Amino acid sequence: MKTELQTTAEGTITKAALSASEVTFVYHGATVPALRSLSFEQGRGEMIGVMGASGAGKSTLAKCLNRLIPEFEGGEFRGIIVIGKTRLDSLRVCEAAAQVGMVFQDFEAQLFCTSVELEVAFAMEQVGMDRAEMKARLGPALEAVGLAGFEQRDPTSLSGGEKQRLAIASVLALRPSIIVLDEPTTDLDPDGKAEVFDLIAKLRGQGLSLIVIEHESEELLHADRIMLLRQGRIVADGPPAAVMTNFNLLEQCGVHLPGLNRVLHELGIGGHVAEVDAAYEAIVRAFPKLRNSKPAAPVATPTAKVSRSFAAPLVEVVDLTFAYPGGAAALERIGLEIHASDFLAIVGQNGSGKTTLAKHIVGLLQPTAGRVMLEGRDRATLHAAETAREVGYVFQNPDHQISAASVWDEVAFGPRNFGIDAEEVDRRCVEVLDAVALLDARDSDPFLLSKGERQRVAVASVLALRPRLLILDEPTTGLDHREQRRMMALVQELNRNGIAIVMITHTPWLVAEYAKRVVLMRKGHKLFDGAVEDFFAQDEILAHSSFRAPPVTRLARKLGTLALTPQSLVDWIKERA
Amino acid sequence: MAIYLYLDRDTFVHRLHPTVKVVALFVMFWSVYWVDNPIALLPLGLFMLWVAQATGSWRNFYRYRWYFLILIFTTTIVWMFFYRRGTPLINLPFIHVSRTSLVFGLGRGIKLSELLAASVLFLSTTRVEEFTVGLAKLGVSYRVGFAISLAFRLVPLFIDSAMTIVDAQKLRGYDFDSGRLFERMRRYVTVVIPVFMAALRRANNMAMALEARGFGLRNRPTTLIEYPVVGADVLAAMTLFLIAAGHFLIYYTGYGAIAVR
Repeated sequence: MKTELQTTAEGTITKAALSASEVTFVYHGATVPALRSLSFEQGRGEMIGVMGASGAGKSTLAKCLNRLIPEFEGGEFRGIIVIGKTRLDSLRVCEAAAQVGMVFQDFEAQLFCTSVELEVAFAMEQVGMDRAEMKARLGPALEAVGLAGFEQRDPTSLSGGEKQRLAIASVLALRPSIIVLDEPTTDLDPDGKAEVFDLIAKLRGQGLSLIVIEHESEELLHADRIMLLRQGRIVADGPPAAVMTNFNLLEQCGVHLPGLNRVLHELGIGGHVAEVDAAYEAIVRAFPKLRNSKPAAPVATPTAKVSRSFAAPLVEVVDLTFAYPGGAAALERIGLEIHASDFLAIVGQNGSGKTTLAKHIVGLLQPTAGRVMLEGRDRATLHAAETAREVGYVFQNPDHQISAASVWDEVAFGPRNFGIDAEEVDRRCVEVLDAVALLDARDSDPFLLSKGERQRVAVASVLALRPRLLILDEPTTGLDHREQRRMMALVQELNRNGIAIVMITHTPWLVAEYAKRVVLMRKGHKLFDGAVEDFFAQDEILAHSSFRAPPVTRLARKLGTLALTPQSLVDWIKERA
Repeated sequence: MAIYLYLDRDTFVHRLHPTVKVVALFVMFWSVYWVDNPIALLPLGLFMLWVAQATGSWRNFYRYRWYFLILIFTTTIVWMFFYRRGTPLINLPFIHVSRTSLVFGLGRGIKLSELLAASVLFLSTTRVEEFTVGLAKLGVSYRVGFAISLAFRLVPLFIDSAMTIVDAQKLRGYDFDSGRLFERMRRYVTVVIPVFMAALRRANNMAMALEARGFGLRNRPTTLIEYPVVGADVLAAMTLFLIAAGHFLIYYTGYGAIAVR
């Protein structure tokens, strides 16, 4: 969007909310610029979605917009950024805070106070606002994010979505003209994600200028503009209808292709839609035969009877109840069987008991009542090392696992602990590093690898123990779309080779495209256990679970089938029409 | 389980001015410093137990019960090796047990426990924001005061992170539990690198978020909450002065020392 520009002796002054001109930045010690001659403008009240693969320069751009770059992170900065009528290079980071509000991905790291009220007041205190003015602004800021009445709550007691909304309230209180949100929903469950995007829509309606950085394309389909970054350059900047239908470019940039647009494209209809209803109308206009099809009913798969073999289960959870000391029950009478061929997704809100259940299977927690059987043996009678050889656990944060100085030593760590001879350790290291495509990085320092690579090192280090069951806690968090696909292809391949998979996730399309079976947890109870197709057809259960089917699956149901991927839906439509 | 110790209650200690609370912590440390004799340390211990009762802080004392016991027992035992005064009851090459060394060890254990108890009481009744305000009123720079108070919030998070890392290593067959004490301690070195890296990342993210919220713009930020000095604060300050002076007097007159027998 171009807006009128004026030039004065002080420099460029724009009527746009933001104007960036020839912004280039090279991190200290780097040879390649992270941003290369970026120029763009943002109108008042405009929402720009910024997308691109990891390393494309999205977060670097965000930090440039509030002076964290170059003030906080060293390097060579060139270019001019103007917010309203103020040139940013005349400000310190703390001075820019009143102009540009910044919300980070890590919601834990941006909350410092012991009550919601004090958290919102923090930035106002820093700029020296008087008490009466602070009190006058507190109410509206909390009202805007739907946290009125939470004033005295401890921020650590809030849910993920509430914490992120609180972070937004704390920047809103300063009344900045622009808010930059850097992947604000990456660590949130679907409920939290919806809360934050509802709030973003509301703020946009109030005329606030927003820059939202996201990996998931579906979330940005309503933006005014999409800016696509690749290797520090803007490679596309325009309305979603233009950018989100350019599939070749999206693929090249490692961005998740919007499923609905992809279906329309494959059917030869083309165009851009943001809603399932709009996609349905476009399809039935092109294929009138599909108009009166009935929504697909739930598949008659008996609950908890999916992918069963006649063999004894690998893991059997019997009447498992668990309560943390002094707390309410985190799990209540859970029953679950995991078989050797399973690819099981455990889904549910934050705090629903997913990780607690997984920690029981692997032996990190002991049941308050009930038991966990591992190949017919009560896990409580097994030594931790015995369990570790059967069940591998990949933590959500790979940095919690990595401790060695090289990738090779990291992968060899587990087998060496079990006293496996050096020759066999070497054989396993080669095998698993090859599987995760990191054999060439065997001598690298794992802490210097990208998040996606560190995640693969963590998987490899667990695989080296050759477990029969692999539990992955949010394996794609923080990865871009290309890295997510690579990680999931690896996991799928492991499953084909006979390793049972249990994956804890919040991402609907991962469940739809990769899992065979779903367990839905809610407040410590198992709400559903069955085939993926069956799960996404259970409207009532989904309505109470905060977990939504991906748009393509919802469209498929509306058309009368239960397709889980864009391709399977396209095939079905072509067959019917 | 709650990570932090602060208990949101409406007691007279919670309502005290932040500066008085910081001074109270200092007075407790000061008083404990001058006295070695377990009998002379008892009144202060009883005073703190009374404050714990009055502020409903028993929950936090229960959380730290093992630390209190370990402090008393290990300190008593360790001093048997190093404190070699008094008529020996047992006299072996490395162990010298006398009535004096036992009393001295017990006194040291009580001293450390009282220091811990004072810290637990302070954190149970004082918000980190009050800690910052209290330090600022005593002339400590806002940035330094904020960093100190923030550390109290970060330490539990680092401990939580360290426990996750220990779990991750255990699940790959690493044995933290067998072997002798020093061997076991040496094994925990593998946890240091990931904990350090996680702490660095978190500290970096937090520093960015602080700057982005205007931290550092002013040397003396305003405060949302007003902290007026009331009669109870004056009374508490006078009581604290008497406690501090009394303990110095005990030291000065020699009643706080241990008689060598």
